Formats: sequence, C-alpha cells, structure tokens
Amino acid sequence: MSNVICQGLRSPVRRLAVLSKTKAISTSIVHNETILVKNNDEFVNKVMNNEKPVIVNFHAEWCEPCKILTPKLKELIEPLTNLDLAVVDVEDNAELVHAFEVKAVPAVIAIKNGLIVDKFIGLVDTDMINNLIDRMCGKKKAT
Amino acid sequence: MAPIDGTYDYDLAVIGGGSGGLACAKEAVNLGAKVAVLDYVTPSPQGTKWGLGGTCVNVGCIPKKLMHQAALLGESIHEAVAYGWEVPSLNDVKINWSALTESVQNHIKSVNWVTRVDLREKKIEYINGLGEFKDPHTIIATLKNGSKKELTAKNILIAVGGRPHYPDIPGAREYCISSDDIFSLSHPPGKTLVVGAGYIGLECAGFLNSLGYSATVLVRSVPLRGFDQQMASMVTNEMEEKGVKFHHKCVPLSVEKLESGQLKARWLNTETKEQSEDVFDTVLLATGRYALTEQLNLAAAGVNSLSESGKIVAEGEQTNVGHVFAVGDVLEARPELTPVAIHAGRLLARRLFAGAQQHMDYDNVATTVFTPLEYGCVGLGEEQAVSRHGADNLEIYHAFYKPTEFFIPQRNIRNCYLKAVALREAPQRILGLHFVGPVAGEVIQGFAAAIKCGITMEQLMNTVGIHPTVAEEFTRLNITKRSGKDPNPASCCS
Repeated sequence: MSNVICQGLRSPVRRLAVLSKTKAISTSIVHNETILVKNNDEFVNKVMNNEKPVIVNFHAEWCEPCKILTPKLKELIEPLTNLDLAVVDVEDNAELVHAFEVKAVPAVIAIKNGLIVDKFIGLVDTDMINNLIDRMCGKKKAT
Repeated sequence: MAPIDGTYDYDLAVIGGGSGGLACAKEAVNLGAKVAVLDYVTPSPQGTKWGLGGTCVNVGCIPKKLMHQAALLGESIHEAVAYGWEVPSLNDVKINWSALTESVQNHIKSVNWVTRVDLREKKIEYINGLGEFKDPHTIIATLKNGSKKELTAKNILIAVGGRPHYPDIPGAREYCISSDDIFSLSHPPGKTLVVGAGYIGLECAGFLNSLGYSATVLVRSVPLRGFDQQMASMVTNEMEEKGVKFHHKCVPLSVEKLESGQLKARWLNTETKEQSEDVFDTVLLATGRYALTEQLNLAAAGVNSLSESGKIVAEGEQTNVGHVFAVGDVLEARPELTPVAIHAGRLLARRLFAGAQQHMDYDNVATTVFTPLEYGCVGLGEEQAVSRHGADNLEIYHAFYKPTEFFIPQRNIRNCYLKAVALREAPQRILGLHFVGPVAGEVIQGFAAAIKCGITMEQLMNTVGIHPTVAEEFTRLNITKRSGKDPNPASCCS
C-alpha cells in the first residue's frame, strides 16, 4: 500500500487517504466496467486502493458538456485492461466534490496509486483524453 | 434558549436562501462572521418545488429571461428571412416545449449546485429546513423528514421573500398554475389565460404568445399599475398587435375542469357587469405576491412591525427588535428586485460586521419589464413626477424612433418610444427616463448611473450618441410634450 501524498489538498483527502491505508480489502473489480461511485467508501476501495490507475470523471445530469464527455471517456477507457474509469455524480457525492475542490463540471482527475497525477476542467477533445490515457498507463515512470 | 453567557451558535442566521439572504451571508462570512443559512421551498399547490437560490434563480428572473430569449429567437428566425437567410420550411419552425424547459431547468440546477458548493467553500452552514422563531435569538428549522433542528444566533436576518397569491375563487388552487410552475411545466401550456397584468403576467403572456401558445390576459384595473401608464399602454399595444388578447376591467370568477381536461374560466367585467367565459388549456394566475411572514412565528421574537399586507416594515432593514433584520421582497414599500435585495443585504452585512455606515438607497432603482418589446425605466414616472412637482414645474421630452434593424423585416415601430421627465427649470435635472424598445434593459442600465450623478437635460443633450443604436435616441431628445410638436422621427441621421 503506497503512502498517500495528496499535493495541495486539504485534510478531507488525507482523511480518505488514511482510510485507504487502514483498510486491507481485496476488491474484486470487474475489468473494463466503469465504476459508478455512490459513496466515500466505494471511492476509497475502488479508486484510491485500485492497483490500476483510475480516471475519475465528476459528472452531473444537468450538465450538457458532461453528456458529451462521459460517454467519450467510457468509449475510450472501457476497452482498456490496465486503466479504470470511475464516474462520480456530483449531486450524490458532496463530500468528494468538496475534497477534490471540484467547482465546475465536467472535471476529470487522474489517480495513480492514490496520488492525483492530473486534473482538467471542462470538455476537452479526444486528443487530450488520449494523451491523458497514454500518460496514465502507457509510459514507464522515470526513476 | 439563548445561553446565559451570551455565546450563540452563530453570529448571523439567515432565514431564506435567496438573492438577499445569500448576498448578506456571503458578505458576512467574508468579514469573519459565523453564518448559517436556512432555505426551504414549500411545494406550490401544483406540487412544484426547487433547490437553493430563491425565487430569482428558480422561478423568477433567470428562467423568465431564458424563456424571453427563446421567444425572441423564434421571432428572429422569421426576421432572418428578410435579411437573406434561406430558412427551409419556415412554417415548420416551432418550439419544442419540453426541450426548452429541460434546457432551462438544467441551467437552474447548475446554479443550484454552484450555490451549494459556494456555501460549502465559504463554510456557511446550510440547513434545508423551514425556519421559525422560538424566541428572539432562537430559530427552529423543520426539515423535510419532519425532524427539527434548533440554532441560536446573535443576529437574525429575515429574507424569506414571497410566493404567488391565489385569488379566492373556485378552482384556483386545484386547476391553476402560477409563475412557480410555468418554467418547469411538464406539458406544453397550450392556449393560456393569464390572470393579472403586472409585470409577471405580461412577461409570461408575452413569451407564451411568441412561442406559439395563444395568450389572453385579464386586467383587473390597469396594466403595470405603479409604472408610468403611457409607457404601460405602449407595452400592451405592442402585445396586442402581436396577438395577445386583453380583457380590461375584468376579474376572474371561477375555473372548472372539463371532461376533456381543458379548463373553463369565467370572468366578470366590473364596468359592464357582463360575465364571459372561455376554454383554455392552462390558467396562469399572476395576481400579486405575498410575503412569507406568517409561518415565521414573529411573535416569538417580538417582531411586530408588519404592514397590512404582511410585509415587514424595517427602516434601514432593522425591525423593531434590534438584532432582527429583514431584506428583499419581504420588506414593505421597497422595490421587489433581486439587485435591490443583494445590495441591501451586502450593505447590511458591512454595517453589522465591519462597522460600516452606508445605508441602502432605494431611490432611482432601474428596472425592466421583459415583454417581447421591453420597457426599461429609472426614476419617476410622469404621473409620479406631476403629483410630486406639479405639471408646471416639469418638462417632458419625448420621441418615437425607428430602430435601424426593424426596417428590413418591416417590424412594427409604432410602439418604439422614449421619454425623459425633467424639472422645467434650467439645467433641467432629469427625474425619470423611460424606454420601450429592444434590449431596453441594456439601454437603461447606464442611465441609472447617470441619474445617480444628477444628470440634467443639458448634459444629456450634449452627450454624443453611438450610431446606429437605439440607446442614442436619448441623446437626440429635443421635442417637449408642451410644444405640441410631432414626436415622430423624420428620418435617421438628421
């Protein structure tokens, strides 16, 4: 279990991080299925504790750009075996929204080993998404 | 019960999460206060409810302006043809009501969410409950599930606003809708009867008619009562010329539901004593709004400064109880406008928590009626000016004008009119400006600042206009009513 260093984030995320260290739950995540996050525990288990990198998409039903971005993310990520997609409905997950300082939707946060490695706000084009995906699972980390 | 040592849960508790309440809460928090906001929406008789943000965001200004825009865009499509746009099957162009309401509601929900996130960021405690007083410093909030939450506060702000008034006639509550319901109506409104000719009734009738739904308006006394009546008649003339039917001096008697599901409305002409009836798909009541003071249990706080209409009398936004304040639509004799509530709320927070002295200036507040042809104004109407100063001491400048863009599609210019109400004595300080025309709100806004600076006719006439605009017509004013000269324009650019 990696140490969680949440750069520039406030204590709620550290709280989530501490939970991720103490819970030794083996998650049986179905490969390729998008994770629909309904609560904090699910987020900790399936995203923070995920061995694979996860792209977390903050989504709202009333948000037009979200209706374009979320299906696009699903289309590009679901076929991949080494990267997961988690969708967080902002209306159902107020604490996560607050913890990750999400002030606008759609928001995409890339998480690897419990660390935030990237973040973007708003609708972005397919090239940018593919770049993000490549960075998350394609290339090796420099030592 | 307020604690003996004088420490309260909050420095400020705000009852009502609308324009006034939120503005005051956010300013207070910026100044270091600990604040709680209570907000609760009692469902309308038709069952409609909405989220945080108050009337403006949910069932007022915002959805109204969006539907007004939808209506204008519909008109633009037709005008575009005159400008050369090839619009295929122009006759098939129609509004999809559910697409419209979905877009409008999605926007409202995004504003609800951003508001909630903002409160959370600012560490303002948000309680989704109906607040009432238990004692001068204690409020009880009743949540949706019936549970109660108690809180104490050093200062309390009443910002509960108002709701549509339902006339006491058979069928009103059972079958009629109000502005609470129209913006999220689950089915197209169809042929609509609008009861009431204040700005809410006229704006609704206006956009419904432009969207393609036949609209009829019952006017009890006069349209836009309280506004300059000459301008009000320009507004209603334009609406009539666009197809809205008006029944003047009529009051509703009853609304009944027919087997077809349609509504039969009966009304009485108070002058001719004649009764009439007609069948509609929707009856929209816009017969005034009342302040939500009854459910506050004000007696428990010792607040007794209520007007006859149930609004709160609060000079400097302070009630008869020193630490209990009021802001927004709940206030007696103040303009019921969002920016008024916001500004007053902010100034109040500064007086409470930053030792500021500045009080709200309720005079010369500009406003606009967003009927398809808009009416914007600031300052006194002609009738008001006459009663305050006497006709002999006034000079009224006026003009009809022709917006350049109207020529090509041959839009009606008969009701494009503006006037300045000024003191007769040089330099002729301007008391009021009135404008009926496109984008009236945009036109009048800058002049509100000018009025605040005490602009005179001499200064206005020495201002060079921007050409070609409709706003520049103010700088071209030169004909007085007194002269009897023809206020119609000869041509542009002269």
